[in-house]
Parts: sequence; C-alpha cells; structure tokens
Amino acid sequence: MRGDRSKGPSAGRGTPGEGRGPSLSMSAREEGLRNRIAARDEQALVELVDLATPWLLGVAHAMLHDVDEAEEVVMEAFRTIWISVTPATAESRGLLPYLLRVTRHRAIDRLRSRQRHRRHLALLTPHEIERSTVAPVEPNEAAQPGWQLHAQVHAALKDLSDEQRAAVQLAYFEGLTQSEIANTLGIPLGTVKTRLRLAFGHLRLALAHVKDWVL
Amino acid sequence: MTAHDWFTEHSAEFAARTLDPADEATFQAHLERCEECRREVERIERELAWLPLGAPPVTPRPGLRRRIAEYALGTPAPRWTRWAVPIGAAAGLLLAAAGWYAGDRRAASLAGEVALSRHRLAAIEDTLSVMRQAARVLQARIDMDGKQGGLVIFADAKTHRWNVVMHGLPPAPNGRYQFWFIYADGMVRGAEVQGDPSRPVMFTTEMPSRAGKVMGAALTLEPMDAKDGPPRGKQLAHLML
Repeated sequence: MRGDRSKGPSAGRGTPGEGRGPSLSMSAREEGLRNRIAARDEQALVELVDLATPWLLGVAHAMLHDVDEAEEVVMEAFRTIWISVTPATAESRGLLPYLLRVTRHRAIDRLRSRQRHRRHLALLTPHEIERSTVAPVEPNEAAQPGWQLHAQVHAALKDLSDEQRAAVQLAYFEGLTQSEIANTLGIPLGTVKTRLRLAFGHLRLALAHVKDWVL
Repeated sequence: MTAHDWFTEHSAEFAARTLDPADEATFQAHLERCEECRREVERIERELAWLPLGAPPVTPRPGLRRRIAEYALGTPAPRWTRWAVPIGAAAGLLLAAAGWYAGDRRAASLAGEVALSRHRLAAIEDTLSVMRQAARVLQARIDMDGKQGGLVIFADAKTHRWNVVMHGLPPAPNGRYQFWFIYADGMVRGAEVQGDPSRPVMFTTEMPSRAGKVMGAALTLEPMDAKDGPPRGKQLAHLML
C-alpha cells in the first residue's frame, strides 16, 4: 500500500496464505488503483468499492451494530478517499489501511455522540464480550481478497491473554474508551490501561510483518 | 517520569483511539508541537494498519456498492430525478390546495349541518318544554277516507303556546288541512298542515295577536283556493278548552 514493493508480499515472518497470499498481481492492482484514483478515474473507485466494502462494513457494523449507520459511515469513508487522494498524496498512504482508519474513526465519532451506545454497554455481559471477540475466518470467506490478512490478525489476537483480548475487543472493535471499559468490566482504570498497553505492544510485534501488505 | 513520558506511553492508545476524550484532546494538542510523537503515532498506525480486519467482513446489501460509488463521486441523479423534487413540490402544493379547497367546502357544509342541527335541537327542546309544561292536553279522533287519525294539542298555560300533533292522516285530497283558533266571535286562521300517514306531524304555535280569549281549536279540510276568510271546507276536529 505504501509503495514499498522492495519488501514484497512475503517479506517478514510467516508465509501468508500459501498460494493465496497478497500476490504481486494484487500489489500491482492496488498500486494501479491508487494511481488511477489520484488521476480521478471513476472506474478505479468503483473497483475499490468492490474490493474493500465488505471489510469496511465489517468494521463499521462491529462498532455501530446498525446496518444503516454502518453503510453511511462506509459511504463517507469512500467520499473522503475520493476527495483526499491526489497525485500529491497518492504515494504517502495505503488505500485500504487509510479507508479502514477513516471508517473506524467515523464510527467512533458516531458512537461517542449517541446515547444508544451507552445502553448497549450497560447490557453487555462478560459472556457476550467473549462471544463477540473477533470472529475466526470462515471457509466461505477464503475466496475474498483480504482473507489472509484477516487470518493473520485473528491469529495475533488469539495469542493475547483472555483479559487483554477482551480489553482490545471492547476498545478497538466496540469503540469504548478506557473509562467505559473499566465500568463495563468492573475493573480499575489503571488495569485497563495496562492491559491495553501490553496488548497493543504484542499486536504491534505480531502484525509488524504484514504492515506493508497489500490486498 | 517526565511529562513527555506520558505521551510516549500512551501513543499506542492514541493511535488506536482508545483514550478517553479528554486525554485524546490533550494528546492531539501535544502532537501539534511534537514531531517525535507524530512520527511515533504514524509508525504505530502503520503497524496496526490491518488490525481492523480482525472484524469479520459483512456482505453488502444489494445496490449498496452502486450507492457508495454515486455518493463518493457526487454523481448527479438521473435526468428524470432532477425534476423529482420540483415536481414533487408542485404536486404537493396542488394537493394541498385541493385539500384546502375540499376541506373548506366540507367545513362550510359541516357548518351548515351544525347550524341546522342546532336549530332542530332548539326546536325539539322548545317542543319538549311545551309538552313538559302543558297544563292541558286535548285530543280528537279523525276518520279520513277509511283511515283513522287524530289531533292532539298540548297547551302551555305559562307561555301561551301550543304543541299540536296531527297523526294518521293522508295527504289532503283536493285541498289542504287548516288549523283554526276558536274565539267567541269566530275562528282565526292558524297554520296549514301537510298530511303524512307515515309519521306524526307536529308544530308549535303561539296564540294569534288579537284581542279575545282562545276558547278552542279546529281542523278543517279547506279547498286549495281558500286562502282567507272563515272556514269553507269540511270540519275534521273541534276541540274546546
């Protein structure tokens, strides 16, 4: 995504996807999409929508628990991309990570402005938190671009302790602040901070080898 | 621990947007003036770039991809839809005007009905008040073309009004029914009455504005041309107070 082609898709530890990993052809496609979008090629945006929408919807829906709102957030994210990716910025950021970040931030903004989220938190039980923890890869998803990355992320999350994974689930995938997590889990704020700090440290290491992957 | 250490420690939480809003604002303000922290946050963002993919994908609903593309591109709606809003607005105005006109007419109609009903109710209340206060009730049986009917008078001594009920009589053959007040010196013409065998015919009448005491009432079948003067037709009922 960042145009760092020298490392290649199989750089770093692990061998993503055994034949289905982010291939050079996909890298070329990604780079081509980025350049075409920067050149205001509308067809390129349509192709990016086809490629990325299921993942962006997954992020938004996991946080918002509302299909309509999730779709609105994704629409806004694509509009942001279309407006902000220019020849001057095309090389500075990966398209899909940027889209994921924008989508997630928009979803968080919405979460923090609505009271319904508070009610949802009040109803969460430890069992539900554990059950909703990041889903494993389903066989029928394997044909979807990005499934290898999903599997890598899932493996990294699975390596966390249960407590750390629950904190990451609530913080990163449910959009809770640290104070809200402390209230939800009934633990001190300092404990939440410690768990998240350790968890993010672990995830940074675990995902370092995929940071320059492309779909 | 220096103040800057706090930012260093929390850079991952800031990048992941898990800080409380107040802390996030503090961190954001710090980033404006700290190049080191900016680079650190960018590095962490890059390292965690794919972490959102931990959420399972969701299959888009039909048509969503097209809507996303149109929204992102700011694609104008198809030509016919450009007129949808003004046409819709015009149609709305027409409907509103038609609704207002129909409503106005309906309101006027209802107002008329209400006024009529009030008038009828007042008449009924008046009639009932006369009947309730009637000091005397006079009645006579009438045989008319083989049908049996009658005349009933409820006389209210306080208001000097009568409620008169004629029942069981057919439409007057070759003439009209005429109600009379009987005075010592003759008979004074009262109301004309239409016969209706299907229901009683009722009317309320005051005493004629002339000197003398009303002694009774009569009902006659008058010829069509008998508009004034004393009775000329057949007397059907004769009642004395």
